[in-house]
Amino acid sequence: MKESNFYSDEFEQLIREKTEQYKMYPSEKVWKGVHGSLHTKRKWFIGSMALLVGGILFFAGRELIAPSAHPVLATKGLAASDSGAALSRLALPAVTHRHPALAALHTPNNTTPAARRYNSSDAPIDDEDNQSPKGITITLSNLVISQPDLPEILSHAVALPDHAPAIPVIAARTTIPAGGGTADAVAARLTRSTSEPEQHNTAAETTDDITAQSVLESLSARTEKQTRNRRDLAHIRSGNSSLAKGRLADSASVATKASATAIAESGDRARINWLHDYALYTLAVSQRQSRTYFQLTLSPTVNYRSLSGGDYGLSKYSGPANLVHTGDAQRYVDHSPALGFQVGGSILYRVTRNLSIKGGLQFNFSRYTIKAYATNDPQPATITLSSYYGYVMDSLTAYTRMGNFGGRTQETFSNDYYQLSAPVGFELRVLGNERLQFNIGATIQPSYLLNTNAYMLSSDYQSYLKAPTLFRRWNINGGVEAFMTYKLNGVTLQAGPEFRYQLLSTYTNQYPITENLKGFGFKLGIVKELP
Amino acid sequence: MTEEAILQGCLKNESAAQRELYNRYSPKMLAVCYRFAHNREDAEDMLQEGFIKVFSQIHTFQNKGAFEGWIRRIIVHTCINNLKKNKRFNESLDIVHAHGVQVREESVPSIVQAKQVVECIRLLPIGYRTVLNLYAIEGYSHKEIADMLDIEESTSRSQYTRAKQMLEDILIKKKILPKPREKSEWLVAIR
Repeated sequence: MKESNFYSDEFEQLIREKTEQYKMYPSEKVWKGVHGSLHTKRKWFIGSMALLVGGILFFAGRELIAPSAHPVLATKGLAASDSGAALSRLALPAVTHRHPALAALHTPNNTTPAARRYNSSDAPIDDEDNQSPKGITITLSNLVISQPDLPEILSHAVALPDHAPAIPVIAARTTIPAGGGTADAVAARLTRSTSEPEQHNTAAETTDDITAQSVLESLSARTEKQTRNRRDLAHIRSGNSSLAKGRLADSASVATKASATAIAESGDRARINWLHDYALYTLAVSQRQSRTYFQLTLSPTVNYRSLSGGDYGLSKYSGPANLVHTGDAQRYVDHSPALGFQVGGSILYRVTRNLSIKGGLQFNFSRYTIKAYATNDPQPATITLSSYYGYVMDSLTAYTRMGNFGGRTQETFSNDYYQLSAPVGFELRVLGNERLQFNIGATIQPSYLLNTNAYMLSSDYQSYLKAPTLFRRWNINGGVEAFMTYKLNGVTLQAGPEFRYQLLSTYTNQYPITENLKGFGFKLGIVKELP
Repeated sequence: MTEEAILQGCLKNESAAQRELYNRYSPKMLAVCYRFAHNREDAEDMLQEGFIKVFSQIHTFQNKGAFEGWIRRIIVHTCINNLKKNKRFNESLDIVHAHGVQVREESVPSIVQAKQVVECIRLLPIGYRTVLNLYAIEGYSHKEIADMLDIEESTSRSQYTRAKQMLEDILIKKKILPKPREKSEWLVAIR
């Protein structure tokens, strides 16, 4: 290094001695900058990974591992636990005698408000203003069991009867004159109603194909009729005493008629219960589907790179002519693919039946291996830096023990890259039905490179060195995928190949060689509808 | 903490060892940077970048030479890389005849202090100063300097000769060096 006559010059020696004595003390911000540069990356990396893994575990725990925490299913469990006690309190209607297994489902918790009102047999019969239903409304808005859970529920209970309980044909009996008519007419109607149970039984044997709609219609008509009957009875009791006195002899007949009315009401309750159960467990619920979904994906990947550019040429090389390497850098490197992985979470929004858009967060670990030669002593290696306009204007020199063409021992090292990405893209259903589908998708992924300690090739292709300042932190990746989906128990499973390509070079434009990472992976995903 | 312990700690990326190494060598290295830089702020930026490289490349150090020398080489290379990013620096390397530096003559001879010598060196044009720093102080050969600065070896030699002459003039004007006839006596006297 030193020329032989250096110390012969006393002037130079003087200058050297005096400058060596000189010391300056840097400000604290210099150390903070050094320390921050060395350790902040790790904190960011650990923090990001902790956040990602924590988020995944949280959602996995909430949606998959502990489904009992789900409000819908929790309500379902509560209903099941109450069913025993409720069963002992419940006077089983006739329909449950005919289908005993249904008794398990006849609990206050799984009946609609309308059904519960009809089941409360202790309601005073003369409180007609409060008790007379204005019409039967069965609402499904407060369903405690969702359609996908139905098979599970029914597997613990029993199947509903295929047909409704016996419904009399009552259309002819629902036309009642306004104002209730005369007392004779009322009495005649009451007398006629006592014979109805027999008609009911007869009809029950013949109306096998009765529908829920007909049950609703008949119940509505019967309700109207019962209202009028109650009004008539009250009228008989309070208003027309003379007529009542005249009819005292017929009191036994009235009691019989009241008994018949009670029997009819009991039948109605049974039918309403059946209707409730039919609507709850059998009807296809037009439940409004959510448009947002949460997606978790994990992909084992095989990563590689494309190298291009970097034709160093003879003009800048000062070594022996037989060691000159010209042309594309790809020809002079011995690199191989290596395994990595990709994990991420996304929120999907269903735009149409077949198209969903998505956005999320993703972590990529990519790497490839390089065969190189280690030397005993660090050797200087230079990277010629290009300006943005293409001509050479600068260089960077660092010391390294990694040679590309020769050295003491052969070594294989890997260049590892850790990237955080925010993929934004879409998924499109191409083929399939509601359960099994074939989809394609694509994403564009703004990415941030977390580490910059990978080896890069010197400009003369002779060495590998590290130059953290030449790495491009922000990059853009593109991803395409094709996958099958299968819906199972409320979740959608996804599996299929994917390809990811880094659109910009790993290095800044100053570095003459361009490296584009690429990865082939097999995506495994799970999608859960968000409430 | 011994140098070996510091080295091992730095290899494990331990903050305490890194701080110890920094405290030990940063004053000298900042002085090195200061001789190359335009001002103290630039020197501190160079020092920071240099130490980041030191810590990130410390695994390449082998115990065959002085640790300080290894650090110093990295710092000097960092300084050169920083200077080369400056267009004025690249132009200054092509200057054959630099304009004379206006130096006020001191009426009273100063005590020869390290700081004075350093400040006189910093009065040189940046191209001269860099070559002088590399050759006379850091001990690089003209061939190495030529490679580092992407110039011809002969250019390095001529730049150094002129830099040395200019520095001598400055030191004489500052009464730090005696006039040529008194030079040998003076050199003996200050030792």
